[in-house]
Amino acid sequence: MENLTALQITTAIIGQFWPVWLALAVTFALSIRFKRRLGLYGKLFDSPVGMTGFAIVMFWVFTAIFASLIITHDPLTQLSGMKNAWPGAAVKNPGEGIYQHYLLGGDNLARDVFSRMVMGAQSVLSIAPAATAFAFMVGITLGLPAGYFGGRLDTSLSFAANLVLAFPVILLFYLLVTPEIQAAGPAILGWRASIPNVLAAVLFAFPIVFFTILWNSRFFTNPRQRNIYVGITLALGLWVYIGLAFNADPTGIWAMEPNLLNVFVSVVFVNAPTVFRIVRGIVMDIKSRDYVAAGQTRGEGPWYIMLWEILPNARGPLIVDFCLRIGYTTILLGTLGFFGLGVSPESPDWGSTINSGRKLLSQFPHPALVPALALMSLVLGLNLLADGLREESLKD
Amino acid sequence: MADWTPDQPILEIDNLSISFFTRLREIPAVMDFSCSVMAGEAMGLVGESGCGKSTVALAVMRYLGKTGRITEGSIRFKGRDLTTMSEAELARIRGSEIAMIYQEPMASLNPAMTIGAQLAEVPMIHEGMSKADALKLARQIVADVRLPDPDRMLASYPHQLSGGQQQRIVIAMALMSKPALLILDEPTTALDVTVEAGIVDLVKDLGEKYGTSMLFISHNLGLVLEVCDRITVMYSGEAVETGAVAEVFNTMRHPYTQALFRSIPLPGADKNSRPLVAIPGNFPLPHERPQGCNFGPRCDYFQDGRCNGADVPMADVGPRHESRCLRWSEIDWDAPIAARKTHEKTPVGEVVLRMEDLRKYYEVAGGGVFGGGMKKVVKANETLSFEAREGETLAIVGESGCGKSTFAKVLMGLETATSGKIMLYDRDIQNTPIEKRNVDTVSGVQMVFQNPFDTLNPSMSVGRQIIRALEIFGQGASDEDRKQRMLELLDLVKLPRAFADRMPRQLSGGQKQRVGIARAFAGGAKVVVADEPVSALDVSVQAAVTDLLMDIQRENRTTLLFISHDLSIVRYLSDRVMVMYLGHVVEMGSTDQVFQPPYHPYTEALLSAVPIADTHVKKNRIVLEGDIPSAMNPPPGCPFQTRCRWKSQVPGGLCEREVPPIRDLASGHQIKCHLPAEVFATMEPVIQIAAE
Repeated sequence: MENLTALQITTAIIGQFWPVWLALAVTFALSIRFKRRLGLYGKLFDSPVGMTGFAIVMFWVFTAIFASLIITHDPLTQLSGMKNAWPGAAVKNPGEGIYQHYLLGGDNLARDVFSRMVMGAQSVLSIAPAATAFAFMVGITLGLPAGYFGGRLDTSLSFAANLVLAFPVILLFYLLVTPEIQAAGPAILGWRASIPNVLAAVLFAFPIVFFTILWNSRFFTNPRQRNIYVGITLALGLWVYIGLAFNADPTGIWAMEPNLLNVFVSVVFVNAPTVFRIVRGIVMDIKSRDYVAAGQTRGEGPWYIMLWEILPNARGPLIVDFCLRIGYTTILLGTLGFFGLGVSPESPDWGSTINSGRKLLSQFPHPALVPALALMSLVLGLNLLADGLREESLKD
Repeated sequence: MADWTPDQPILEIDNLSISFFTRLREIPAVMDFSCSVMAGEAMGLVGESGCGKSTVALAVMRYLGKTGRITEGSIRFKGRDLTTMSEAELARIRGSEIAMIYQEPMASLNPAMTIGAQLAEVPMIHEGMSKADALKLARQIVADVRLPDPDRMLASYPHQLSGGQQQRIVIAMALMSKPALLILDEPTTALDVTVEAGIVDLVKDLGEKYGTSMLFISHNLGLVLEVCDRITVMYSGEAVETGAVAEVFNTMRHPYTQALFRSIPLPGADKNSRPLVAIPGNFPLPHERPQGCNFGPRCDYFQDGRCNGADVPMADVGPRHESRCLRWSEIDWDAPIAARKTHEKTPVGEVVLRMEDLRKYYEVAGGGVFGGGMKKVVKANETLSFEAREGETLAIVGESGCGKSTFAKVLMGLETATSGKIMLYDRDIQNTPIEKRNVDTVSGVQMVFQNPFDTLNPSMSVGRQIIRALEIFGQGASDEDRKQRMLELLDLVKLPRAFADRMPRQLSGGQKQRVGIARAFAGGAKVVVADEPVSALDVSVQAAVTDLLMDIQRENRTTLLFISHDLSIVRYLSDRVMVMYLGHVVEMGSTDQVFQPPYHPYTEALLSAVPIADTHVKKNRIVLEGDIPSAMNPPPGCPFQTRCRWKSQVPGGLCEREVPPIRDLASGHQIKCHLPAEVFATMEPVIQIAAE
């Protein structure tokens, strides 16, 4: 087998991504066709910047979704003779049904860089948006009352937020994921009350609290409907909650491996205070509007006003920040991976891959360069998307 | 420049058309607009919001932004065409020969520079004057705009001045380079009436003193009458009538001008015997203008096939008086207003609401890093006592800081009273915050808010917001029931039922205000507090919304507490009036008692300050000195003594020492003043309608 030229590599990679191109084409065709009816999302397609950002982000999202169709080799399989192979290198003694080349070369353990990069997208995109969403739940649930009631509550919550923000992030991570800290703490019914576990128990409870209050504040006038909504929320929420936070789901569907749990909790913990501050600021602005006063004079409870009158009108800046924050979280996960924190050593996530490629960077740059470029493009895409959304949400 | 002589117009706008280009379409903002301003003349530009009056002003300054473009016509200033001028030439003219004054004074001043530095900048840039000379000039002009203590003013920063003072500084800045043309874009809209009166006086005098020509943009016909020589009425991007002020006011020749005058309350108008005539329909959106005459669909004199045919040109109807109407010579302009429905005055019933000696004080932390230091007490309401009866309209009149909003908050239960009593029927509610009030009390006292753009939640559909009010007030047995009630409420406020699914941004200001009213009446409210419900609306819509409120009140026998600073509308619709100043009720009585002498000195000034759009009305001009004192630091004795012109009539400086007692002058007429009865007897009426 011949090695591939640069042009052949490019063609092969583009061909390999065919499900992604197809999905992108369908998404864009439908979105542009119906953009006038799609609100802010539709307006995004009027802004070249926003569209570019959206395309890049969706490229990685679809890559993550179709990863198993795209990869050429198993990301963990080592093929003999492919150690630090150059991009386009032909596989030595290929077996039956095995892809003939390492498109982007091999790493120092003779694994396919291309496939690892694709699988890395899956691992990054399954953590970053979810962790950001949790951070938003926590930030919103605490930021709303802080901004709305003000006073002592605000002072103490803001102080706590500042404390978290004042602590060096990397150091905090090191502390949270150190085995000693994970092992410390009393055991209660087989569950170790270590700092990360307790944090998880607290932070993961916020979405349940949020949705319970959300439904109750609106539907308390109609108890039957309220009971249905709150009941479903509690049943589903608690099921997932005991699975994720205590690893005690009897059905075994919801579980998180301890390493991942630590990373997840740390990311939520350091992001929530910033979200808290943003929400608090917006609430302080919106609470002086007449429709809030109208709610008050009608005898609405404070939580209804916060969740149904104020929060929907704060969505613009929050959506923009959500996009930016997924980007930060992705970088943070990369940093964590780079330091070897949290994830298993053979995980294909981009941060760890960059770290393992770092040692031979001067001789074989490609194993580190490929995931680095992938990481950069995803974050760039998210930033462009946020810019586009911000720009369009200001226009009429 | 050479061929311009002072007997030619300073500003001549000819067939001007301006469009804004958005990504969807071209939106024509101004079409075929012509007008001319002679040297020393003041031209008023009147119209409702969105009619293009500000766009014309911005076009004169060539500040149309990226999307706006002059598509046709010319703007000649002293004979030179501004539309073809280069940026460099424009920069020389802006600020030196043409100056502009905007609505919001704080937005025109740089908060990081002292007043003196900002004023001195103007001649330093335009005339290369030395800093010392410029400051000397600034000092003189600051004195000219009648600001006290010019040296202190020059050394202060904008935030240290009150709104009225800031606007005077903006005017001073405009005058620094002795411009030939001054453009004023709603210069007093953000100010209180008594402060506005002072500014209007100043602008008029300065126009005479410096011989400056003025383009005065306003939606207030009364103000234009006071300031301007000529007037141009605009409707939907076109000038519809132009002429001398008195001529247009008395012998208008365009149906829109006529309709505009019929929709504003004038002295003598009464809600029962002479109701206002609202202009039917809505202002057309720029891209939905009808064919032919823009006013056609709302016009009483509309003729199918003629008015909606070709574009209507301006026609001469007299010397320098033009109208954009095809039928101006056919319409009988003196015909009496067609039969209007009049109402019997509704008899008032039982006492519904009673306040006794209500006080509300706030404690304000007096600075300090951690909120320590001295506590200050703000007395927002002092000994408020009154009764309101079923079916009655009680107007509460006062300027900003008079305590009317605090009073509303206490009544609604958003705050609790410091002392005193509020009785709703037979229940004491002064100490019951809203969360402890029962549903009956809450739904029985409701509020209509001032700002239509703020009163509805922008992310909830109109129907949903009304249904929510029904849910919370426990109305209706099921969701279908409530939906039906919601549709009936939309009928009640005369909105189409299809509006239930609309979002608030799809509604006009007047329509939003109607939804606000529907929401307030959802629980069958007995007492409705209307906080300036129409002051933010256009004149033609104001009448319709006011009438609606009156109709609902008549049917439901609601007690209406109407908070306003607009005395024309108060006189038109209220049964009794309560005048407030710095937390005190200074005068209370029936509408006739309050609007006729004897007055409280503050009522007198307030009446005189309100601009009235009627050339037959003669006003006794009383302009108050200075600004309203801060409620944080009220003057000793009578709250009004710092601005009172009658103070010298009270012997022994009593006004500065003691708060006056409440005195009963006639049955139900109370005045809080030290003036002796003889002096009250000598007071003359402020407003007199001259015999025709």
